[in-house]
Amino acid sequence: MAQAGAARGMATEKQIFNQIQSTKNIKKITSSMKMVSAAKLKGDETRLELAKPFNEWTNALCGKPVHLDDLENITYEELPQKTLIVPITSDKGLCGGVNSFISRSVRDAIGKINAQGKECDVVIIGDKGRSQMSRSFPEKILRTATDIQAPGNFNLAAALSAELTAAGAMNYDAVMIVYNSYVNAAVYHQYYKVIKPMAVEGEGESMVEYEFEPDVKSEIMGDLYEYMLTSQIYYCFMDGAAAEQSSRMTAMENASKNAGEMIDTLTLQYNRARQARITTELIEIISGASALEG
Amino acid sequence: MSTPTTFWRIAGMSYTQYVTRAATAVRNGLKEPAKTKALQHETFSYNAASWEAGKIGPKKQVNKLTNAGISV
Repeated sequence: MAQAGAARGMATEKQIFNQIQSTKNIKKITSSMKMVSAAKLKGDETRLELAKPFNEWTNALCGKPVHLDDLENITYEELPQKTLIVPITSDKGLCGGVNSFISRSVRDAIGKINAQGKECDVVIIGDKGRSQMSRSFPEKILRTATDIQAPGNFNLAAALSAELTAAGAMNYDAVMIVYNSYVNAAVYHQYYKVIKPMAVEGEGESMVEYEFEPDVKSEIMGDLYEYMLTSQIYYCFMDGAAAEQSSRMTAMENASKNAGEMIDTLTLQYNRARQARITTELIEIISGASALEG
Repeated sequence: MSTPTTFWRIAGMSYTQYVTRAATAVRNGLKEPAKTKALQHETFSYNAASWEAGKIGPKKQVNKLTNAGISV
């Protein structure tokens, strides 16, 4: 009689029981992933707090990061003719919407920049960004840096800025870093920061109030630009790592909650199926007994 | 470009290479156990790949600053 349920296309008691067991296992895995993320978030948060004061000076030299809150209002008009876009994404998945927000922002930026008659190319940091963006605009990608060993440090940022230089960062009028910024365990925002090399002479010459020793200002400004790029990549990478962990924590918590709700619904179904089976068995026994008597 | 003025530039190093080497020297000046802990802050590793016309090239592992940015 148990096969009757299966013949009708309903899940049998056994199938529901298996479903409940596998959902319970998934719930265990997602809640342990959440706890691991919470622990890692603590370390990433500390590293971010330490990195923050070391990057404040770049805001004075190349402007503050711009919050990508509503993509429709961002025009990218302040960008010069040639921009190198550097999105910072994660390597591992199961981290909520961090990477898709960045991919969407970059796709939107490329569309708007090209519509203004300007050029742009992309150097992607992170495997998830690579897989998403290589589907939308593979011809714009110059280099990718993936499988980054966690946690990041300044040497990593130095190597990544060397990658940007090898991709031709010195030939672009500006470098735009798009990254997630950690606010707290539940909230993260997207920002982009534009870094322009500083003019050494003529109009718009920067740092005219300072005297440079030795006298070669162009050399020192070149060094400063390189250092500014490295420092900014370091800070954005730390920020992105903290945002990724907080997003993963939230995603795993939601997954555990949804798994719990599924288990409750399935358990009710299972009990109903079990009671139906018991009822049919009883009916069989009673009708069999009455057939014998009669 | 005018002739470079600093020795490390004449030797062909970039500013970030110079600064990271200086940091290594500072870390090597520490006493144990702070030294091993600090030297752990230097290691990094990632895979770099160049793209040509929408196709990814071979991946190369980079774990030294001198290897970074080299076209494959």
